[in-house]
Amino acid sequence: MKLGGRLLLGLIIGVVAGAVLYTVMRIILGMPAWAANPWPMVALALTTGSIGLLWGIEPSLGLARGLMGMVAGFVVGLLVTYVIRLVLGMDPAWKPEPAWVVGAVLGSLGFLLGVGVMTDWLRWTRGEKTPEQHGPPKGKPAWVRYFGADQNHKVIGVQYTVTGILLLGAAGTFAMIFRTELTNPGMDFLSADLFNTFISIHGIVMIASILMGIGGLMNYLVPLMLGANDMAFPRLNSFGFWVAVPGAILILMALFFGGWNTGWTGYAPLSVRGPLGIDFFMIGVFIFGFSSILGAVNLITTVLTMRAPGMSMFRMPIFVWAALATSLIQLTGTQFIGLSFLMVVLERLFHMGFYEPSLGGKVLLFQHLFWFYSHPAVYIFILPGLGIISELLPVFARKPLFGYKWIALSSMAIAILGFLVWAHHMFTSGMSASLRVPFMYSTMLVAVPTGVKFFSWLGTMWRGKLSFPTPMLFVLTSIAVFLIGGLTGPPLATVPTDLHLHDSYYVVGHFHATMFGGFVFPFFAALYFWFPKITGRMYNERLGKIHWFFQTVGFYTMSLYMMRAGLLGMRRRLVDYDPALGVAGFHHVITMAGWLIFLSVVVGVLNLAWSARRGPVAALNPWESRSPEWLLPSPVPEHNYEEPFEVVGEPYDYGIPDSVYVRMHSEPARAG
Amino acid sequence: MTATTQTHHQEAISPARRLVMNRVGLWMFIISETFLFSGILVSRFYLWGGTRPHLNQLLGMSVTLILVTSSFFANRAEVAIKYGDRKVFLRSILMTILLGLLFLVGVVGMEWPSAPVKPTMDGEFNVYGAVLFFMTGMHAFHVLTGVVLLAIVARLGARGHFHAEHFWGVEAAVIYWHFVDVVWVFFYPALYLMGTAVGPGH
Amino acid sequence: MKHGIRVSVIIAVLSAVMIYWARTIQWMPVEASREAQPIDWLFGLHIDVITFLYVLVNGILVYSIIAFRRKKGEEEAVGANFHGHTKLEIFWTVIPLITVLFFAYLGTLVLNDISAAAADEMEVKVTARQWAWSFEYPEAGVKSTELYLPVGRKVKLTMVSQDVIHSFWVPEFRVKMDTVPGITTTLRITPDREGTYKVRCAELCGTAHAAMLGTIRVVSQEEFDQWLQGKQAPTNASELSPEELVTLGESTAQAAGCLACHSVDGSKSVGPTWKGLFGSERTLSDGTKVTADEAYLKESILEPKAKVVEGYPGIMPTNFGETLSELDIQALIAYIRSLK
Ligand code: HEA
Ligand code: HEA
Ligand code: HEC
Ligand code: CUA
Ligand SMILES: [Cu+2]
Repeated sequence: MKLGGRLLLGLIIGVVAGAVLYTVMRIILGMPAWAANPWPMVALALTTGSIGLLWGIEPSLGLARGLMGMVAGFVVGLLVTYVIRLVLGMDPAWKPEPAWVVGAVLGSLGFLLGVGVMTDWLRWTRGEKTPEQHGPPKGKPAWVRYFGADQNHKVIGVQYTVTGILLLGAAGTFAMIFRTELTNPGMDFLSADLFNTFISIHGIVMIASILMGIGGLMNYLVPLMLGANDMAFPRLNSFGFWVAVPGAILILMALFFGGWNTGWTGYAPLSVRGPLGIDFFMIGVFIFGFSSILGAVNLITTVLTMRAPGMSMFRMPIFVWAALATSLIQLTGTQFIGLSFLMVVLERLFHMGFYEPSLGGKVLLFQHLFWFYSHPAVYIFILPGLGIISELLPVFARKPLFGYKWIALSSMAIAILGFLVWAHHMFTSGMSASLRVPFMYSTMLVAVPTGVKFFSWLGTMWRGKLSFPTPMLFVLTSIAVFLIGGLTGPPLATVPTDLHLHDSYYVVGHFHATMFGGFVFPFFAALYFWFPKITGRMYNERLGKIHWFFQTVGFYTMSLYMMRAGLLGMRRRLVDYDPALGVAGFHHVITMAGWLIFLSVVVGVLNLAWSARRGPVAALNPWESRSPEWLLPSPVPEHNYEEPFEVVGEPYDYGIPDSVYVRMHSEPARAG
Repeated sequence: MTATTQTHHQEAISPARRLVMNRVGLWMFIISETFLFSGILVSRFYLWGGTRPHLNQLLGMSVTLILVTSSFFANRAEVAIKYGDRKVFLRSILMTILLGLLFLVGVVGMEWPSAPVKPTMDGEFNVYGAVLFFMTGMHAFHVLTGVVLLAIVARLGARGHFHAEHFWGVEAAVIYWHFVDVVWVFFYPALYLMGTAVGPGH
Repeated sequence: MKHGIRVSVIIAVLSAVMIYWARTIQWMPVEASREAQPIDWLFGLHIDVITFLYVLVNGILVYSIIAFRRKKGEEEAVGANFHGHTKLEIFWTVIPLITVLFFAYLGTLVLNDISAAAADEMEVKVTARQWAWSFEYPEAGVKSTELYLPVGRKVKLTMVSQDVIHSFWVPEFRVKMDTVPGITTTLRITPDREGTYKVRCAELCGTAHAAMLGTIRVVSQEEFDQWLQGKQAPTNASELSPEELVTLGESTAQAAGCLACHSVDGSKSVGPTWKGLFGSERTLSDGTKVTADEAYLKESILEPKAKVVEGYPGIMPTNFGETLSELDIQALIAYIRSLK
């Protein structure tokens, strides 16, 4: 009860402080104290309210300090912009757009300073040495470290994963809001602009959630699988996670600043004209991008330099290959989405005519830059998921992974080919007609390495001894669902058929199937599989199966009906559709199926949350995996491997008598 | 956790291996930045094609020479500290910083106000202005961060922070500086030399 | 080996049945253009291959689940011991490679076929803007808010956009193409089925994207010529009876896209309803009041920004003056007037 009281008090103080701060700011900036548009104030009060809430739990949380830094950064940014304009004699001195943009940038910086991920670096510039930090802050309970700048890769992995699930919940809720609007034809309760905002924010927050989710998997698993005690750069790792948080906050803040009406793709010139929310969306994505890039720098370095003795590239657990391929894309491609969005923001702020034809700009430049990242990005979403499938199948088939090298190299092939196909999103864009055919050919090629994975999975299952606990069920449906997603790709890649399919619900069905099959299902497989490793406890098997069943049924129904509606002429991004197309019934079903997925995921998340504290203590190696992390106690100790191990065999020789993958040493070995 | 595990953890990675890891990490970062600047170059060619604005050729040539020279001094600084010659190291790094600042003055202080790419009545920039300011601005921002890094290194060096066995800070700042320099080696012809110059505000 | 034979038989039978069944499904809307035929054929071929591969992978998957499941008493049993099979890997690399390249090749053929120019093709200029379509027949010098097309004749649409990207899509014709500010895009269509269709803007273009529909009438050549002549003939309002004027106004409102934003039954939409508009007192965004007489309506149509109604954003397109003739405007006013 005492805690409850503190929470409530913190919340109230926070909200009031936010409202007061907002009013004071308006008065300083020479505006009437009360605004016609209450939403920016709501955003601020929500932020300060959550600071108060966190403060009520534990005054020293890094997250609370980060949020305070963010508010302070915003305040400074708004005031600085105002003063500069005033001094330079610009009219009007208070102009919302530049002020909020500067505020967003300084706010993110303030967040990072506040949360403490830059403290060590700042001290380095003064020549001070900083010890690596281990364990929770002195004199604090262990859970506190999950809310602050911690440098342990397992803590960071959990931070990523939980943030990913929270964003999944937010984006899923947005989906349910606009899906409910679409249940019946006609405008029911959303205005057109609000609807457009919701689909856009659903799309980008889902993508942010995926990036967090794979960040979680890669951070938690890769060092354990390599036999390393941490990532190569623990401080950078911490920074990489926390920089994503202000990015995500900015994206969500767009809701309070007029939203945005361009979809997640933000095509110019619509995005150049849209409301202030677009600036928040684009700057948010830009800052989020740092997380991807720095995470990739760290991961690649870890894989290249921190493998245990004897672990050659082709003896790494297969998930590491997937993580490596993913990181290569993140490292390079992310710059391009940042670039395309930066140019939009510059065009909005300074009227720089990159995309404005009357100033000599070119509209299609945006699409080329955007898709040069965003197509490869779709392989960022799936490669870790496909890695999970390859990782788990042998465990539950008790049989070696079929064609290890082919699977490993196919990840690389997908990553590289992925950079050569971007213009398949632009077949109808009016780009030079002679470009369409080469991009049709290159796109088709991606089917080949993906197919290699599928057939190798079948080879792995063939004549195995399969068992079906929850993770395996998720793995199996991943395969079946990703298959529909993948197979519906070639008709999109073929220009003539894409002329019909482009921007229809067929595409919507295609990408939900690929993303569910390539990410959502494998992500849950991984969560259930490593849950006993992470928490030391076992989840509830029956609830796990319930989750699996309804998610599978709901998802199949949803995506198949989406594709069907698209073929009949249902366009994307439509607040209201023409019942004459005969798709009203389909939309009914899609909404129901969406709710089914939503509820099943809630069951799953609650199961995991409850079991993490109350579940039965798990066996040491419940799946009898050969992967080295299962040789450690659960949860894994602060320093993963007190005794470094040596790799002496193949990773997936399940069922082969006397075969050994790793051998623990007692004397400290030098890794090389 | 306890102090014993901490020392154990730190001794697991030897300084030599740390250096290798740092180098790999830095190069990864530079690969990433390469993509950023190639994206900018691609945009330049997409938007300007075979044309370019009339720019002050003498100024362009001068800043390029200045920046290239600065890389020479940066290299001298790195070599000097690896041989433990602190005096040459300090002198060279200060020279690098000076030349870097000179470059910034040349581009931002002189080229920007004089370039024939003024905004229109409504405060709009046509593609020539937009791309010019964007390219030079993004590059100048990186030069500025480079200068800041070098300044930090110089200050630490002046306090005796680096020596022949401990030079990663210097090496990192210098590699970054070379990279920023190489980027300009590509930007300079793209801005000043390639394509036919078209009239101001074309 | 017995597993292999069994699963092959199952897959062969099942895929044959499934492909046959998939062929009976009408996947797309009616075919109303010559371009639709090769596209639908190609899509059908895709569906065949998709169906086969779907049955193949899932067949083996489900077969494995059933045949190779861990049965009671097999708790410690392990699977067969093999690591891979290089020949097999090469096989399932090469066969899909050939398949997809073949599809890309077919795609190229079909693409060339449907985008080829014809000697007697008719040009129509398409202008897209937020959120309406307008059309121009350069040879006849006619502007229109509806797209009339003669059946069986290839048309070349040359398309521009005045603001943001839109996309010209008629699902019954299958093909689509974006209209892009700053460049002119082209699309060729040969309508071959008379009837009324809708252009549906397929690229998100802002608030009223969903309502950005245009009307297409595919008619016989004679009817088309007649329509074109009617458009050319100088008509003015006095030649029509008041009822004819109202009817014309109603169809103009349909075709020009007014009804995307204005309702005629009093319900709220993007713009104010027209029901009871005429003669009522309007409050403008600057607080002044005006009476909605003919002059006001005309100004509202030609220069919507001049007087913006309170409570509505001033987003009504400002260039109706370019596409609507004087007669159209008279007719629209008459129609609005008739909505009591
Ligand atoms: C996880 C994400 C993901 C993945 C993996 C894919 C995979 C593929 N995608 Fe998809 N795609 C998206 C996410 C994804 N896509 C998204 C988000 C969009 C929309 C973006 C937007 O506009 O908002 C999109 C849109 C999109 C388009 C543009 C559509 C349009 O807007 O007009 C195209 C066109 O070519 C395309 C093609 C493909 C192809 C060929 C693959 C291939 O990689 C698939 C390969 C897999 C298989 C083919 C199945 C397995 C293979 C075999 C069993 C072997 C045998 C197969 C054959 C012989 C065919 N996708
Ligand atoms: C991973 C990616 C992902 C996922 C999982 C989803 C999930 C869903 N999507 Fe989404 N979607 C996209 C990515 C994704 N989507 C993208 C990129 C777009 C394009 C946007 C654009 O056009 O710009 C899009 C667009 C899109 C459209 C098209 C909109 C349009 O064009 O008009 C539709 C329409 O039905 C839709 C529906 C749904 C539904 C019903 C779900 C459901 O499956 C959602 C189910 C809900 C959940 C999965 C959340 C579960 C709940 C929790 C986790 C809460 C538990 C938490 C706690 C208890 C703390 N989506
Ligand atoms: C994109 C939406 C849109 C389209 C298309 C559109 N309008 Fe409007 N219209 C509006 C809005 C919004 C207003 C109210 C704001 C204003 O007065 O500008 C308005 C106002 C008007 C008014 C004044 C109404 C009043 O209540 O006083 C008239 C008359 C009108 N429109 C006629 C037309 C006609 C005729 C067309 C088609 C040729 C048309 N509109 C097409 C959005 C639209
Ligand atoms: Cu025009 Cu959508
Ligand atoms: Cu793609």
